[in-house]
Amino acid sequence: MNVVITPAMVGQVVISGLLSGVLYGMVALGLALIFGVMRIINVAHGPLLMLGAYTTFFFYSTWGLNPYLTVPLSMLVLFGVGWLLERTLVFRVVDAPELSSLLLTFGISIALVNGAQLAFTSDLRAVEYLTGSWMVGPFALSKSRVIAFVFAGGLTAAAFLFLSYTRLGKAIRATSQSREVAMVCGIDVGAIHRLTFGLASALAAAGGALIAVIVAIQPEMGQIWTFKSFLVIVLGGAGNYPGALLGGMLLGLVEQLASLFLTTQLSEVVAYVLLVLVLLVRPTGLLGGRQT
Amino acid sequence: MTRNAVGALLAAVTVATAAVLTTALMVDAQGPIRLGASLSLTGTYAKLGKNQHEGYQLCIKELNAKGGLLGRKVELVVYDDQSLPPTGVRLYEKLITEDKVDAVMGPYSSPITEAVANVTEKYKKVMVSPLAATTSIFKKEPRRRYIFMVISPAEGYLEGLIDIASKRGLKTVAVVNEDTLFSKAAAAGAVDLAKKKGMQVVFQEAYPKGNTDFSALLTKIKSTNADVIAAATYFDDAVALTRQMKELNVNPRMYGVTGGRRPPEFYDTLKGNAEYIYGATQWEPVLNYPGNKEFFESYKAEFKHEPSYHSTAGYAGCAIYAEGVKRAGSLEADKVREQLLKLETKTAFGDYKVDQDGFQLAHKMVTFQWQKEKKVVVWPDDLVQGKVLFPTPPWNQR
Repeated sequence: MNVVITPAMVGQVVISGLLSGVLYGMVALGLALIFGVMRIINVAHGPLLMLGAYTTFFFYSTWGLNPYLTVPLSMLVLFGVGWLLERTLVFRVVDAPELSSLLLTFGISIALVNGAQLAFTSDLRAVEYLTGSWMVGPFALSKSRVIAFVFAGGLTAAAFLFLSYTRLGKAIRATSQSREVAMVCGIDVGAIHRLTFGLASALAAAGGALIAVIVAIQPEMGQIWTFKSFLVIVLGGAGNYPGALLGGMLLGLVEQLASLFLTTQLSEVVAYVLLVLVLLVRPTGLLGGRQT
Repeated sequence: MTRNAVGALLAAVTVATAAVLTTALMVDAQGPIRLGASLSLTGTYAKLGKNQHEGYQLCIKELNAKGGLLGRKVELVVYDDQSLPPTGVRLYEKLITEDKVDAVMGPYSSPITEAVANVTEKYKKVMVSPLAATTSIFKKEPRRRYIFMVISPAEGYLEGLIDIASKRGLKTVAVVNEDTLFSKAAAAGAVDLAKKKGMQVVFQEAYPKGNTDFSALLTKIKSTNADVIAAATYFDDAVALTRQMKELNVNPRMYGVTGGRRPPEFYDTLKGNAEYIYGATQWEPVLNYPGNKEFFESYKAEFKHEPSYHSTAGYAGCAIYAEGVKRAGSLEADKVREQLLKLETKTAFGDYKVDQDGFQLAHKMVTFQWQKEKKVVVWPDDLVQGKVLFPTPPWNQR
C-alpha cells in the first residue's frame, strides 16, 4: 500500500488542478458578481449551472449539435432565465435583510432541482462527445478538460474586459461600489441588477455546458458547485472579481494535491481548513473584498 | 334400530352438520390473509420501491389464482414510507397494532429494513426482507429471530471479479470505494477475498459521495501497476472513474465496478468505453432459474415495463414467505420461522437457504462483462453465457 509519489505524478495532478481551477474560477465569478452588485449570496447558482448542463445535453441529443457550439446557446438561454428570476423574484429581496435573500435563493434552488427531477427524471445523462487525452511527455491532458480550460479562460477574460472597458461593465462596477451614487449618476440600477443576474447565470451555464462533456449530469449535480463557488469567492475576497479566478486556481490545486499526498476523502477537509485559515489571517480574502 | 338409536344418530348428524357449517362459516369470517408492508413509493428510492411493490403484487395475484394460502385469499396492505426510515417505523407499528395485519413483508433498502426490524421483532412478526443487503442487519446482538434475507450481501458484489482474476493468475489488486455503507461493505468483501486467494492488495482508498474528479486517485493507482481495479461504486462515480481511466491511460488487465442501484444505463452513458468492464448483479432475466422466463413475461404483460432485480427479489421474497406458511400449515410466527430456517429452494430469483440468523447463504451474485453492447454472464461457472474477454486491452489499442 506504499505509493511512492514521483515528480511526474505531482506534475500530473498540478495540471489537473489548474485545468479544473479555471473552471471553478469562471463559475465562481458569476456568484461574485451577484454578491458584489446586489449583496446577495445566490444559493441557486449551482442549480442554474445544472440547467445550463441540461440545455447543452438537449441541444446535443435532440439536434445533434456539437456540444461546444451549444455553450453560447446555453449561456443565452440561462441569461434569459437569470434575467427573469431577477425580474420576478429576486428584486424583491435586494434591500431586505440578508436572511431573506438566502431563503429566497434557497427556495429557488429547491424548486429548480425538484423541477428538473420531474421534467428530466433523475437518470444520469451524458454527452459522450470527447473522451481520452493528449499525451504531452509523461503527462496526460484530458481533451475535454483542456477544452473546458480554454473556454473558461476565454470567457473569464471576456467578462473582465467587459467589466473594465464597456459602459455597461463600468455601470455594473459603479453599482457594486455604491448603489446610491450610481443612481444619482443616472444609472438604471434595476436594469443593472437584471443584467448582472443574467450574466452570472450565463457564466454558470457555460460551466454546466463544459462539465456536461467532462462528467455525466443529473439534477442534483449543481449544489456542490454552489459550495465550491462560495469557497472560491471567500478565498479570493468576496466581491473581488480577479480574486475569484485566483481562488478557483487555488482550490483546484489544493484539492488535487491533497488527494495525491493524503486521500481523496481528506481533500475536501483540506479545502475547508484552508478557508478557515484564510478567514483567520485575512478575513477579507486573499485579494481583499469589494475592490472592484 | 331402536328409537333411541335413531335419536342418537340424528343427534350425531345434526352435531356433525353444525360443526361443518360452523367451520365453513368460520373460514368465511376469517376473510383474506392481510399482508402488510411499507414501501418507498415516493422519495429517493421511489423507482426501486415501486418495482418491489409490483413484485409483491404479481406474487399475490398468482397465489390467489392458485387458490390462495391455507385456503384463504391473500391481500396486500401497502403504505408509502417516502424512503424515510422513521416513517417506515411508524407504518409498521400501525400495520401491526392498528390494522392488525396477519403478516408483514420487508420494506425497500437496508436503512429502512434496519429501522423497522426493531418493530417486527418486538411484536414477533416474521419478516422476509427481500431488499436488504447489509450483513449487519442480520448479524446483530441481541439476535434478531424473525427476519429473513433473500438477496446476496454487499460483500459478495466483487467476488466474481476477484475469483476470475485469481484463476487467470493475476497477482495485484487496487480497491476503491465510495465512502458509504454499501460500497464500504463491497470493498471489504473484495479485500478479504483477494487476500484469501493469495493476491496482494496494493492500493485501497475511499472517496466521498458525489466525487467526480479521480485524477489524483488514478494517478496513484497507475503508479502501482495493479493488475485488477475493483471499484465499489454506485453509478455516477463509476462513469466518472471510467472516463478518467481512459483520460489518464490507466490500463489494468481487469476492471470491475458494482452497478449499485440504478437501472442499466451504464452502457448508454459510456457507450464504447464500457466494453470489457465487469459488473455485478443480483439477477438477470436471462438466467436459467425455474420460472424466471415466465416471471419476466407475465411481469412485462402486467406492468408494461421490464422488471429490475428489485421486482424479482420482491416477487421471490413473497413466494418464499408463502412457501414457509404452506409448510407450517399456519400463520403462527414461530412455526413459519422454523420452516423458513429449514427451507432450501430455488425461485425465479435463484437459490434460497439461510443460516440460523436468517442470513442468506445460497443466493449467487452474478458477474457479467460488457461485450459488444451486451451484458454477458461470465461467472459463476454454472451460469456462464459466454467467454471472458481477457485481458482488457489498453485504451489506445481498442
